[in-house]
Amino acid sequence: MSSNTAIISSFVEGAPPGELANVIEGMSFLLHSSLATADIKAITGPDPNLIKNLSPAFQKYNEEQFITAKLPGGSSQVIISEFSALGEGRYFDSESQSSFEFDHSTGKAANVQSHVLEGEQASLVKSTLNTVGTYVKEHYPNAAYGAYPIENDTKVAVVIVANKYSPHNFWNGRWRSFYIYDPSSNSLEGSIKVDVHYYEDGNVRLLTDKKVNASVSAGRSADGIAREISTAEKKYQEDLNRSFTQLSEGAFKALRRQLPVTRQKIEWDKVASYRLGQDIGGGSVRR
Amino acid sequence: MASQDPFDCALDLLRRLNPKHTGDHLSNIISLHPDLAEELLSSVDQPLTVQRCKQTGRDYLLCDYNRDGDSYRSPWSNQFDPPLDEAGAGGVGAGGSNEGAGEGAVPGERVRKMEIKANEAFDVYRELYYEGGGGSVYFWNLDDGFAGVVLLKKASPQGDATTSGVWDSIHVFEASERGRTSNYRLTSTVILTLATKGASLGEVDLSGNMTRQVEQDLPVDSDESHIANIGRLVEDMELKMRNLLQEVYFGKAKDVVGDLRSIGSLSQGQKDRETQRELIGSMRR
Repeated sequence: MSSNTAIISSFVEGAPPGELANVIEGMSFLLHSSLATADIKAITGPDPNLIKNLSPAFQKYNEEQFITAKLPGGSSQVIISEFSALGEGRYFDSESQSSFEFDHSTGKAANVQSHVLEGEQASLVKSTLNTVGTYVKEHYPNAAYGAYPIENDTKVAVVIVANKYSPHNFWNGRWRSFYIYDPSSNSLEGSIKVDVHYYEDGNVRLLTDKKVNASVSAGRSADGIAREISTAEKKYQEDLNRSFTQLSEGAFKALRRQLPVTRQKIEWDKVASYRLGQDIGGGSVRR
Repeated sequence: MASQDPFDCALDLLRRLNPKHTGDHLSNIISLHPDLAEELLSSVDQPLTVQRCKQTGRDYLLCDYNRDGDSYRSPWSNQFDPPLDEAGAGGVGAGGSNEGAGEGAVPGERVRKMEIKANEAFDVYRELYYEGGGGSVYFWNLDDGFAGVVLLKKASPQGDATTSGVWDSIHVFEASERGRTSNYRLTSTVILTLATKGASLGEVDLSGNMTRQVEQDLPVDSDESHIANIGRLVEDMELKMRNLLQEVYFGKAKDVVGDLRSIGSLSQGQKDRETQRELIGSMRR
């Protein structure tokens, strides 16, 4: 069973945005139908043991993918990440000053408690939530964001995650970025990752990874953090858009032409004579 | 989703997991469910591998249709490498059947002649469209006709450190002969991997595969016209798929990124739309 758990954990890790449930369902079915063919009583529904064995994989997936949840009775999204982890399955949200329990297999938040930030970075976290919030609302139609004191209250982490799921049109996408601000050096370091999946009669995946290194002008931390993030993300999206054009005009075109140099389709009835020295493609045909 | 069979379920998983590592996912799924091995290996397309023909020195492409055990048949020499123990060469007689290929499938005399012609024709096709790369065509007999696979592969030059690309085309067809016409059923898959990186861009990977099918009845007056019919079908299909890949890889992917994040300011965009609406409204008045 342990090697199966390793395989299934790797599948969990690779699940596209918004498709974890589909991947789990598929794997459970495969596993159970396999057990059934081995003449072991068929089990219906997800195997509780399997789900339990997978909980480290679920936790890793949820924290790395910045999975969001709604607090009971709340309307805004809270983000699951290593930066908001308190241990023992609990996470906190700076905006609502609360902590909560998160079930990694169901994706539900529960047992909300008050979690008041009062350390050294508390006021920077609050003002950064404001400045980053203003930026996020200007550029993301639907995103969650958060700011958290980390590393024993010595630094501040900022997380932004935007999802758009359109399973009826066979595509899903996720933009996630995080930044760590170090007040002692005014440095801002982080990364932007984009994951797009298109799967109508096929399977196409865009995966990107961009490291960001910037420095924030001393003395204006919260404004500076939002400004640097805004500058880096704008530049990145422009670079990424340019790379689509370059790949399309460059590598893609070089692999296969849309039409031969003659701009005409092949005359298949005469294809045998193409070889006999007939000048095709400006004489570029070898042999 | 509840009442499905394991094979469909495995295909659904492969449609979701990162297409760049389909081979790894496939072997993982098979280790979870060994019964599916044969069916999955023969129906899931993977990037083609190249082997050099010992008799002719020319490269050819490997797939399930020119395989017998651990040996592969070269379309140039018609010989298996490594050679088969039993006298497999010679194959079945003209008009005989070796449905499904595999297992020492060597086409009958007539179908092998067409196979040679098809390899020559698609060599021209490859030079005109790919300007390089490699290709192989394999035919085999069916009870009411014949079937075949057209393989094409091209990789971008190794020298480029920042951008790489690989294109694999796999066109499997069946031709059912019905007197003066023939019914062709074509299933085409293109596997396309593109990657680029740079100091300011970071890493970008665009990988995937798409499959399309077409069925057509076409007139046939000779074996040469079979080759021409298959040629046109494959040429039209590749043109269609190339356009589709372009749209999905570069258009759709970019649009989804734009849906996630807007380069321009959303509130300014909203203001602009309102101004435009007011303008149009005032013109109507």
